Parts: sequence; C-alpha cells; structure tokens
Amino acid sequence: MGTRILTVEDDERIRTAVKMALEDEGWVVEEADTGEEALQAFTRNPADVVLIDIMLPGIDGFDVCRSIRRASDVPIVMVTARADTHDVVAGLEAGADDYLTKPFAPKELSARIRALLRRARTADPTVTHLRFGDLEIVPDEGVVLRDGAEVHLTKTEFRLLVELASSPGRVFSREVLLERVWGYGYFGDGRLVDVHVRRLRMKVEADPANPRHVITVRGLGYKLQP
Amino acid sequence: MAPDDTSPRPPVPEGRPVETRPVETRPVETRPITPLPSDGRPGDAKSGSSGAAAAGSENRPVQARTRRRRRARIIAPVRRGLGLRTRLTLTYGLGAALLAAVMSITTFGLTRENLMTQREESSVARAVANAARIASQLPNGAGSVAVEKVLTGLPTPEGAQPVLHYQGQWYATNTIDFGERAIPDSLKTMVDGGQPARMRATYLDDPYLVTGVPIPSLGAEYYEGVSLADLQRTLDGLAISLLGASALTTLAGGLVGFWASRRVFAPLLDVGQAAEAIAGGRLDTRLPVGGDPDLDLIAEPFNEMAQALEDRIERDARFASEVSHELRSPLMTLAATVEVLENSSDEMPERARTALVLLSADVDRLQQLVEDLLEISRFDVGAIKLHLEEVLVAEMVIQAVSVLGGGGVPVRYDPDVSDVVVRVDKRRFGRVIANLLDNAERYAGGATAITLELADDKVQIAVEDRGNGVPEDERDIIFDRFSRGSEGGNRAADTGVGLGLALIDEHVRLHGGRVWVEDRRDGESGARFVVELPIVEPPKDDTATEAPE
Repeated sequence: MGTRILTVEDDERIRTAVKMALEDEGWVVEEADTGEEALQAFTRNPADVVLIDIMLPGIDGFDVCRSIRRASDVPIVMVTARADTHDVVAGLEAGADDYLTKPFAPKELSARIRALLRRARTADPTVTHLRFGDLEIVPDEGVVLRDGAEVHLTKTEFRLLVELASSPGRVFSREVLLERVWGYGYFGDGRLVDVHVRRLRMKVEADPANPRHVITVRGLGYKLQP
Repeated sequence: MAPDDTSPRPPVPEGRPVETRPVETRPVETRPITPLPSDGRPGDAKSGSSGAAAAGSENRPVQARTRRRRRARIIAPVRRGLGLRTRLTLTYGLGAALLAAVMSITTFGLTRENLMTQREESSVARAVANAARIASQLPNGAGSVAVEKVLTGLPTPEGAQPVLHYQGQWYATNTIDFGERAIPDSLKTMVDGGQPARMRATYLDDPYLVTGVPIPSLGAEYYEGVSLADLQRTLDGLAISLLGASALTTLAGGLVGFWASRRVFAPLLDVGQAAEAIAGGRLDTRLPVGGDPDLDLIAEPFNEMAQALEDRIERDARFASEVSHELRSPLMTLAATVEVLENSSDEMPERARTALVLLSADVDRLQQLVEDLLEISRFDVGAIKLHLEEVLVAEMVIQAVSVLGGGGVPVRYDPDVSDVVVRVDKRRFGRVIANLLDNAERYAGGATAITLELADDKVQIAVEDRGNGVPEDERDIIFDRFSRGSEGGNRAADTGVGLGLALIDEHVRLHGGRVWVEDRRDGESGARFVVELPIVEPPKDDTATEAPE
C-alpha cells in the first residue's frame, strides 16, 4: 500500500494535473472538490498527507484544516493565493504544517510532501529518553508526556520539540529550525517556526503565556530550557 | 466598434472552465496596452482585444509611466519677474504710501494756511488799532521821549514789535530784536505812499510778519512785526508727525499686503502640497471643500482631477492584478501537465520531445512573468507587506548566491562588513539578489563578482559583470518596466520578461534604499549594479536586537 495523498481543490483541471504529477511520484492520490467531500473522504479512509486549497466553495480550507486537525495529526499542506497575506498565518494556526503559493511547480509540492513524510518517521536514534521538569520526551516511541499524561503533538510539532531537545539550552535560529524540521534553506518563511512554536507551547506549557520550556531568545531564535 | 465605457468583452469561447470567479461581475478596462502611435490614435484595433480599442484620441489610458514623457500642455504664457506675493505686498505698500502722502500734504497745507490767516488777521487788526492809539495819544509835534513812551505803552501780545517812523526818525521798543532794518524796503515804499500793507519777511533768520499802517494825521507810519517762529515750529512739528504717520501707514500698507497675499496664497499653497502628496503616491489626498465658495472654484476641480487620477491608476493596477490572478489557475494546470509529460518524455518521438522542451521553457517563463506582474501590481496598489528581519547582510548575500547555485560567483567583502546588520524582508531581498544575478546571466554572460562595502551609514551590494556595460543614457530607463535597453533587444535566445530590474527597483525602494548601475571601477568592460541599503546599528550584545514576530 503506497502513500495516500488527499487533494482538496475545486478547479478540476488543476486537480487532475496535480493528481497526475503526484501519481508519477508513485503516490496514490484521492481527490475532493469541496470541503464537505474532503472531510467525508478523510473520515472514511484517512490519507497520509492532505493538500488543501484554502479558496474553496462552501466550507473553506481553514475549516477543513481545523476539522481534520481535531481528528488527526496527519501532515497538512495548504495552498494559498499569496505569501504575504494573513492567510498564511491563519492557515498555519488552523493546523497546517506547511504551505505553498499558487502557482507552484509540482516538483516543489513533491519536495514538500517528501519532507513531511520524512518528518513523520525520523527520530534521532541516539536520544532515547529526555526529561525536562514536568515534560518527558520519548523520541523513539514518538511520545511526549506532561505530568505523566500524554500530549498529542502533530508530527511537525514533535520534530520541532525533539530538535530543540537534542541540545538543551542551545539557541536554534529560525533558519536552522526551518532547515532541520521543514527542509527549507535560509530563505524559508520564519513564520512557519513562529506559529509552530506557538502551537507547541499551547500543548507542552502549563502556562503558554509564560513559557518555561520553549523560550524565545530575542533576535536569535528559540531554545529549550534544560 | 462599441463605445468605450461599456467595457465590451471579447466573446467567451465555448467550453471555458467553470471557475473564473472574480472578474466576471466587474467591468474591466480592456484597452490594448500597446503604446499609442505618435499621431495620438490608438494602434491598429485588430492587434488589441477584439472591439475594445477606444475610438477617440480623448480618454487615453494613463500609461507610459515607463515611457518618456510627452511634452506637457501649458495653458497660459509664462510671466517672468517678481513673485505674485512680492507684487501684492509692493502694490499695497505703494498704495498706502501714495494715500498717506496726499493726506499729509493736504493736511499740512490746510493747517498752515489756516494758522497764517489767523495770525495775519489778528496782527493786522492790532496794528490798525495800535496806529489809531498812537494817532490819538501822540500830540502833534511830540518829542522822541513822548514817542517812546507811547510805543512802550502799546499793548503788544504775541511778542509783537512796534516800530514807528515819525518825523524822519525810527522808533522801536527793542531795536536789537526788531527795528527799522527789519522792515523790507518794498513795504516801506508802499506804506509811505499811504497804503496799509503787510508782508512776510525774515530778520536775523527768524520769520516775521510785518504790517505797516500809515498815520496821515501825524505824517507817520506805524509798523508792527510779529515773529512767526512759533508758528514755524508748530508747522515743523506737524510736518514731522505727518511724515512719520505716512511712513507708518506705508509700512502698515505693506504689512497688510503681505498678510493679504499670504491669506490669498495659503489655499494655493495647500493645492501645491496636495499636488506634491499626490505626485509622491498619496493618491487619496484631497482639498477641503465647502468652506469658501471662491476657493471651491479651485478645490473642486482639483479634487475631481485627483479622483480621476486615482481611479485610473487603481483601475490599471487592478486590471493587471486581476489578469495575473486569472492566469494563475491555467498556469498551474500547464505547469503540472508539462511536468507529467516530461516524466514520460523518454517514450516520446524526437520531434515531440523537442516541442516539449520549448513548451516547458515557455511555461516557466510565463510563470515567472505572472509572478512578477502580480508582485509589481501589489506594489501599485500598495498591498506589499514586508516581513522585516534584522539579518547579517554578508550572510544573506552568500546564502542567496548559494541558493541560486551560482557557486561560481565570488562574494567579496572587508572584515568590517561581516557584522553589518540590515533590516530586510529576507525572502524578498533574496529575490533582489537573484534578479540581479539573473540579469547579469541574461545580458552579460553572468556575474563575475559580488562585493559588499560600507558607505557612511549605508552598505552597498554591487554585482559586476563582464558584458558591454550600460550606456549612460539608458541607465535610468533600464529600471523601467518592460524596457531592457539596447543590449537586451539583441539577444536571440532572450527569455527575460523585462520586469526583473523594475522589481528590484521597487523592492529596494521599499526597503529604504536605492539601486543604480555604473561602469566597473577597475576600468574593464562591464556593468556594476549597486544596491544601497541603510545599516541598522549593530547590536551591542547578543540579546539587543528585536525579534520580528
């Protein structure tokens, strides 16, 4: 059974063309042309990666994203019209792991999907068990516990946390995190890191407004307080 | 040919995709974007979209930000000389001076005449009375003692000096101040002839009024002199006062003129400021209307003009933006399908493969063009939002070069540039570097080096190439949209779209910097594109800089 990708896009031509391009990569592609249909399809048979165009008739992409995220930690790539609008941050906050702007090259999309799939599997084998106060990370099991209770993280959030935890106290710049977690280079979008850190804090911090684990170092980046 | 304002659209072909949402409901300008020929008529209508070309020479689209300017139409001849405000001030001042002079001269003349007449009348009356008194008091044949006694006894108010010519002798009460010598000969002759007379005379530098009355009963003549010095002093004083008043009036007139001209001019200055603001890009600037019916004559047409301009520019920008947006969906499909085809190009016959290579290259080019157009129309409608971050400029440039795979282009800088920080939108600035390198690649066979150096509180990023350089007269216009200078036109395999440098210009300006092109400094053939950016004060310690959100 190959990797299954659900694409939600209302333009039939684009959907078909993208489907063909992704199938050439060896993936199985499932299509949906409305948000409702996408949610039904995902409930029936969850995909490994979801690609959502946020401009959808009916339920918009943000809602689809939120609904799927409530039920699953599946990697989500969002397609927006423009990179400099609030759409990107809104989409990331709705639970998307990454985004692309239209028109994108299918190669770019495949690269993003591959990075997401890699993220889902990778764990540094040398680190087995980490503990930071009330926070406990078991990388090889993909589990995070706070006060002994399991915290549900998306794969991207988990990768981000493990990355920070690999050198407690060391400051990671946005660029480094973008490269290690998302596979972007120097010119990646720093907002990906900022929004994911915010989401991560909501889950692992007792008081997200006054984080004790994931600390912002102004002008430099983030670190995990040992 | 349909009239322009109904915005005719080309007929919709059958089997069009269903989802063309935005443009359908809005009327869209569909005039051809080709530049107008010099005779002012739109170009051949067949070359534009069908039936959409405007029919007249009026109502031309605002175009040609990028073209050289047509000569402006001036509606009145130029008047040279003093400024309007100076002229108004001078006019008021001169008017006031003239008025003051006339008033002063009249006042002075009337006062003088009045005072003189009074003085003359009183002195004549007194002289006659005194002469009568002498005639009655002086016994005929009296001696000099009696004469002097009578003279001394005469009432002489206002400092009158009596002088009597009696029996060939001259008598006076005070021969030093006023005596026989003070009386003009012409007066003596007249009075001698039995005719009472008066005359103004000067004696010992003092003005006098001398009245002579013959006394026939004694065969004598009585003269009385009255000093006019006090009158003269009064008049002098009056003259000085009037002169002073005139000067003040003139000054006041000038000031009123100055103030009035400022008042009149203030609204014009507002117009000037508003026009400047509009020229500077604040297209929503308007003048206040409704306060003054006279000023509304200027303000209303001005505002209409500004509105028309804003509408036009907005329409142009929106048009470009909507066209680009509409192009994105088909482009998406094209890009994806081309890739699918490329994946199976091995199974294709040679001819099809060649065609696919051409198709693929032009889809890329089209995609770049649409992206650039979208970006530039965002500049036009002011919709660019920068995500400013403080970054090390040297690191950013090195990263930009390495991302582009331009490993062969060396980045050179002095050690003092290595910790220079600039505040930029990293991703947009990456595009700037990419476009510069791309430009060098296209027109000059590739960049030879990128250098960074400090210039006061700025840092200059220079991209050098080994091409033919840019001629002096093209150095400005190559930054215009869709213009690529003489060098650009010659390239047979040119795949550029002519927006790269225009985008660089817009980006750099948005970052508070500037960009220009010059000759290479080492004297070799080639161009040197310089981007100058303001430096952010380097952080004192590790935690000093502000983290962007």
